[in-house]
Amino acid sequence: MAQIPNLDNAPLNLAALREQSQKDLLNILKSIRGKKCVVIDPKLAGTLSLILQTSLLKEYGAELRLLSAEPLQTECAKILYLVRSELKFMKLIASQIKNDEPKGLQREFFLYFVPRRTVACEKILEEEKVHQKLTLGEYPLYLVPLDEDVICFELDHSLQECLIEGDTSSVWHVAKAIHKLEFAFGVIPNVRAKGVASTKAAELLNSMQQEDPVNMDDMGTPEINTVILLDREVDLVTPMCSQLTYEGLLDEMLQINNGSVEVDATIMGAQQDGKKVKVPLNSSDKLYKEIRDLNFEVVVQVLRQKATSIQQDYAEVKSTNTQSVSELKDFVKRLHSLPEIARHVHLAQHLQSFTGKPSFHARLDIEQTILEVQNFEICFEYIEEMIHKQEPIENVLRLLVLLSLTNAGLPKKNFDYLRREILHSYGFEHMPLLYNLEKAGLFKRQESRSNWIGITRALQLIVDVNDTANPSDISYIFSGYAPLSIRLVQHAVRSGWRSIEELLKLLPGPHLDLKRGSSAINSSLDVHQGLGLQQSIDRVGHRSLVLVVFIGGVTFAEIAALRFLSAQEGMGYDFLVATTKVVNGNTILRPIITNSKEVMI
Amino acid sequence: LLLKESRELERNPMASKGSPLHGPQVRLIEQAHRLFAETKEHVFESKASEEHAKLLRSQHELEVSTKQAIFVGSSVSDTIKTCIAMGNERAALKVKSEFKVPDKRWYWLKSCALATVGNWDALEKF
Repeated sequence: MAQIPNLDNAPLNLAALREQSQKDLLNILKSIRGKKCVVIDPKLAGTLSLILQTSLLKEYGAELRLLSAEPLQTECAKILYLVRSELKFMKLIASQIKNDEPKGLQREFFLYFVPRRTVACEKILEEEKVHQKLTLGEYPLYLVPLDEDVICFELDHSLQECLIEGDTSSVWHVAKAIHKLEFAFGVIPNVRAKGVASTKAAELLNSMQQEDPVNMDDMGTPEINTVILLDREVDLVTPMCSQLTYEGLLDEMLQINNGSVEVDATIMGAQQDGKKVKVPLNSSDKLYKEIRDLNFEVVVQVLRQKATSIQQDYAEVKSTNTQSVSELKDFVKRLHSLPEIARHVHLAQHLQSFTGKPSFHARLDIEQTILEVQNFEICFEYIEEMIHKQEPIENVLRLLVLLSLTNAGLPKKNFDYLRREILHSYGFEHMPLLYNLEKAGLFKRQESRSNWIGITRALQLIVDVNDTANPSDISYIFSGYAPLSIRLVQHAVRSGWRSIEELLKLLPGPHLDLKRGSSAINSSLDVHQGLGLQQSIDRVGHRSLVLVVFIGGVTFAEIAALRFLSAQEGMGYDFLVATTKVVNGNTILRPIITNSKEVMI
Repeated sequence: LLLKESRELERNPMASKGSPLHGPQVRLIEQAHRLFAETKEHVFESKASEEHAKLLRSQHELEVSTKQAIFVGSSVSDTIKTCIAMGNERAALKVKSEFKVPDKRWYWLKSCALATVGNWDALEKF
């Protein structure tokens, strides 16, 4: 099965966007005549696999290499570097070019920045004195469809850059990407933003529209009705909780990359040992589409049902000899779904080997206790014990961050004690890590009273779930906790920010409500009424489309919650999710941990 | 600015990590400790870097006395574990008292280390 997702059912014509990116890339290849060697950075390789089949590149006379520190081995006289504009890549490229010099090879070098060239990168090329040898260009890839309702900006470090390094270039990228969407689908009339980065992106979007306006006359009705921008900083609690949907768990345990997971072949029932297989996970797989967003408990039941029903059919076919051809046809059709069922049974079985452990349940219990801010002592001692057992530091930090966020920090005594225990258990080299976490507000000293309880009450974040199989509320996703971010989206589409203004003030960052487009060209900050349900089904009879942008990443669980919402009766909206990256608690913390270490070396 | 300065110093010593000469590293960390101590906000950092220097010193001593270069660079807990695993409980106790390791952590470390080397008799007695 292809890893490139099928986009036919997308609420927006995302296939056209992807074709455009494909065409752009092929045009670059065509512009360089003859055989060429394409060198791409490893991360981009994953991204490109979502856009086109690599075999296509060969047809254009290109051989593919990954950029690394080693000198380049190729016969080609033309080298095309296709890399994201990161400083470290520039150094690698420069060293590869210099490596060629003494050999007296006559080579032509091309460098295409993804998505755009930056001054800092060119400066490095100049310093390394390879600037003259390169032909520079840009490959404007700002977004990639991950699935029929998810777009990714492929900005891995956005959160870290905004919170710790103070680098907001990703915000510009997000605004630019939305602006590009507007060129294809019309100016989005309603903009709602919450958080420092989000409001900045909304303002940037406005100024981009002024400098380089999308012509509104020949577009007709804009296809996207509202864009809601949210900073991850507004809700850091949710990603720290263990996701309990099928897709969420897959990401937590096996890590989904570019819409697929890599697992040992033995897990998938194959015989070969030690081999890795890639399992694509997107909505082209009908069964996966059906079960990805269910609570994992339910998934196991569904799979069992499917398997037994096929078994029954099989028994029927065998016992009765008088079937018509059409009956047989039906049966064969159902057998076609067999490989899909087998695939997910294997994956689910593997997941159960994690979720079956008592430690997994103990952890969920503690998370729930922390969220309800019930018993600080128990939570504190649980984490203390984890540190003493020297459990993986990211597991420890995840709970610690959760505890710190819900309590607006830890009392000084506990804070210093735990920090000391961490340094003793994991080494003093983690000092910059603790500093960075404090700077990002993830793990800090208590300075004011926590308003978390107030927020959970006002937004009904803690809900008792009785029936995970037939949920009536998004809280089924975390078995009793409704993600804060999605509650905000719920309010934003229902009535705008106004009704929860007081509440928004309790969360970090400013908020913004804008009306744009022909009706309000000189649109400034005029506050307006919410969409209202009667407007939500527009003239054409389409459900209106809401683009939800998460700056700093979104979890699969939250995407599941949005899908659940749009499937609810009386909800006149389709949601399209756009994010800098799909994250979970570990993938948020891991780069902070490794980066903090790198600084030391 | 002061913070930045001391942070720089915190980073630098690591550059010399792994080299047989730990003198400069320890000195740099001690310098960081003094810089942190100049302000009131960085009491914690100051103490931590003081302990860091102390740890490196005692690890160096341990390496000399055991003639095995396995200590330097590991954490306090790992140092204790290694000592116990080697059957040198006295050295482990010394580290424990030197760094005021709470009993709770001490018990975890001890049982864990004894289990790793399969010293079930000692684990039973303990």
